Amino acid sequence: MDALIVIFVSGLISIFAAFAKKPSVVLLGASGGLMLAIGLWINQMVTGQSLVNINYEGLEFDPFSLMFSLALSVFSLLIISVGYERFKEEPDHTGEYIGLLLFSLCGAVIMTAFTDMFMFFLGLEILSIPIYVMAGSRKHDLRSNEASLKYFLMGAFATGLLLFGIAWVYGATESFTIEGIAAAVANPEVAGNPILLVGILLILSSFVFKVGAAPFHFWSPDVYDGAPHAVTGFMASVVKMAAFAAFLKLFAGSFGSSDLRDFWAPALAILAVITLFVGNLSALRQVRLKRLLAFSSITHVGYTLLVILSNHGLSAFDLWFYMTAYGFSIIAIITVGLVVNDAEDRIEALRGLGKRNPLLAIVAVVSILSLAGIPPTAGFFGKYMVFSHAWNDWWWLVIIALINSAISIYYYLRMLGTVISVDETPGEKIKVSPLTTVVLLICLIGMLGLGAAVPFF
Amino acid sequence: MELLLFILPVFFALSVLVMPQSFVRTYGLLGGLATLVLTVVLMANYDPNAGMHSFVSQEWIPAYGITLNFGYDGISLMMLLLTTVLVPLILLSNFGRELSSNRLFTSMVFLMQFGLIGVFISLDGIWFYIFWEITLIPIFLIAYWFGEPERKAALMKFFMYTFFGSLFMLASLIGLKSFAASFAIEDLKAVQLAPEVAVWLLGGFFLAFAIKVPIFPFHTWQPSTYSKAPMAGTMLLSGIMLKMALYGMLRWMLPLFPEALDCVTYPIIVLGTIGVVYGAILAIKQDDMKRLFAFASISHVGLIAAGIMTADKDTLSGSVLQMINHGLVAVGLFLAADVIERRLGTRSLRELGGIAKQAPKFAFWFAALAFASVSVPFTSGFVGEFLLLKGLFSFDSVIGIVAGSTLILGAVYTFRAYQLSMYGPVKTSAFADLSMSELIVFAVIIIAVVFLGVYPKAVIDFVEPSVTDLLASIKQTPIVP
Repeated sequence: MDALIVIFVSGLISIFAAFAKKPSVVLLGASGGLMLAIGLWINQMVTGQSLVNINYEGLEFDPFSLMFSLALSVFSLLIISVGYERFKEEPDHTGEYIGLLLFSLCGAVIMTAFTDMFMFFLGLEILSIPIYVMAGSRKHDLRSNEASLKYFLMGAFATGLLLFGIAWVYGATESFTIEGIAAAVANPEVAGNPILLVGILLILSSFVFKVGAAPFHFWSPDVYDGAPHAVTGFMASVVKMAAFAAFLKLFAGSFGSSDLRDFWAPALAILAVITLFVGNLSALRQVRLKRLLAFSSITHVGYTLLVILSNHGLSAFDLWFYMTAYGFSIIAIITVGLVVNDAEDRIEALRGLGKRNPLLAIVAVVSILSLAGIPPTAGFFGKYMVFSHAWNDWWWLVIIALINSAISIYYYLRMLGTVISVDETPGEKIKVSPLTTVVLLICLIGMLGLGAAVPFF
Repeated sequence: MELLLFILPVFFALSVLVMPQSFVRTYGLLGGLATLVLTVVLMANYDPNAGMHSFVSQEWIPAYGITLNFGYDGISLMMLLLTTVLVPLILLSNFGRELSSNRLFTSMVFLMQFGLIGVFISLDGIWFYIFWEITLIPIFLIAYWFGEPERKAALMKFFMYTFFGSLFMLASLIGLKSFAASFAIEDLKAVQLAPEVAVWLLGGFFLAFAIKVPIFPFHTWQPSTYSKAPMAGTMLLSGIMLKMALYGMLRWMLPLFPEALDCVTYPIIVLGTIGVVYGAILAIKQDDMKRLFAFASISHVGLIAAGIMTADKDTLSGSVLQMINHGLVAVGLFLAADVIERRLGTRSLRELGGIAKQAPKFAFWFAALAFASVSVPFTSGFVGEFLLLKGLFSFDSVIGIVAGSTLILGAVYTFRAYQLSMYGPVKTSAFADLSMSELIVFAVIIIAVVFLGVYPKAVIDFVEPSVTDLLASIKQTPIVP
């Protein structure tokens, strides 16, 4: 709780620091606040209690939410450092960007820690609204505006579905808290109530929208493509992770009884299959980096849905590991894209990267391998964990997912080939700022070390 | 001591990147020899009758059933020896060739060696899979960076094909693990499956191995990849990497799924035998020397794969011997093709002729290799193929006879290649004879092949106790009705 307040306050400070029109002050304030928050999360994980004890009924920082919050804060810190280069080109607005990002992070943290539907809904809104603005932050870019508007309209619609669903669930269970709902659905009469089932379906669809699974995925390629790099990175790592954490919390916690599972799991399984194929097949022929990553992230959502489906004691850890591995990889490759800075954001712009800047090339190669799930990168371990736990109940889905991994190799390999190509005369050298170098190195360590670090968790 | 097997290749792979340009090749060769010495020391300290020597065995991630389990027996050591002998030879045979970056090349070869060594000593399913996949990255990079101009489509096919196969192996591993306590090979062996489940799980492994070997009809990636990859890449692929799959059949496929063997043995042996004839017939018609040797390779390894499936003691020992022989001879033949290409810029048999008159030394060593390839007596191929054919013949006499045609067909395509390129009117410009480094490579290979041909007991005695243990673990497993 204390860390959440720290993040919020540093967000406020960032906005007010913007009046000074000194981007570096904003960066200092925001990253200082985030580091303090990370320290507080770690402290609470290690000692079991927070430094300043503030209790609020609607939020509970258990180990589940702590480990997610920690990863979310680290990702936000990386993204702020990466995006800073671009933000400072508009010193008038640096504070707003970073402040909005921190507010959005507050929402993400709330989404991992809620104990009732009120806080969940608030968290979702706090998470989403700043992103609607940030997606449109390149005001003079038509595509950025399109992204913002599209995301807002679709997001508002999904929010409506969610609210409607919560109301139906309340009608059936007479409770807003996670435990209250879980207790109510233990009664077979309630569990069979059509009102509850309609409510679950509505909530499910809004989640499917938020994580960007098919058939509610149409917004994501346009929004990823149009939004600035840092915002795309934020959406792919932080927003997705928070949405999945809430997804798991709600569907394993409240609706996890075996009766209800039999009701929603088959529907979700079919969505997962569609998501995998839609994401992969659309990605095959993309030429723009962020658009490709958008489709590849749809595929990754398909794999991650397996975690929600598999009923297992380690599901939370699987999800955390998978999303963390994915977050590091996607932030790394988006950083590379940002540094290369191609106006059209073509994958071709990465050609011959090895000669133009070896560090960028190594990071790009490792992150592509990690996205593709090739050992020894973290992406492989994440996939392995997810698949191995899903096998018992959903072995056919695992096989479909593995086939999709094989399909996805095609576009990852094309990208890899572009990065390591040596035939052409290399373009001009690329300079990387020290701050970005640090981010790249952290991502590299994350991608290579996360797998080996599992025994120590 | 054993941990050096991991440390040395990684150390050399990284340290070679900072060596001065002029010293890189020598340094790489020294590194290759260092791992060779290590392997020899390990072999000297290993008692063939001692069974599996497990040097690491502990829990790693209990929640996910992954253990740290590494060890070796006679078969693994033979594979390690093959790897560590071939790596210096491959580095040495590259001395005469200018690459765009020797540092990266040498580094990738050592990374490859790291992965291969890991495959041969992993006794945990997930580690086996991890190392198996690690080898794919350096070979892809070597072929991508140093291969021929129109290599990209071939490489894409190769990578997708093999990755597709490995994913099915991963699925099988996960499926098998759902019945077992952990991924350690002993725990996986203890699982008893219903035959209809075992067949599917074996199928996943078989797909991965069949693609890598390659066994007919999964071979379509192989000729194009072999001919488009640089010479060193082809040597790594055919010399060591496909042995990984044959080793996998021996170590993992046979012992893990004894319940399924009844119904898969025959089909796999038939596929292997088809490969023997099919590869040989296609090899006869080839014009490109590298493609010719690629098809010849399909033919030879088809025989080894079929032999492994008979699960018979002598045949398995023979298959190990034949793996070593094939590794050595394949490297030699691809070097011969490269020697020609490097000097004349072509590998097309139609454009070659009369080289023997210009380069007598090369003609002699190439001839020796050709004889080794067609398995004349006193070369290791003779003993290996004899044992394999004997096993196949006693398994089913028709298959034995069909597979036996390899001796005749092999002679036809090998000597056709030799004759067209070496004899006849001189069609090409001057041909410089072998350089020192090439000569050493040829000589080492021929000496090894002849030594093993005269004294095959050296290998057979070394691996036989391990083979017996392996077979015992297959036979012991009671079959669930």
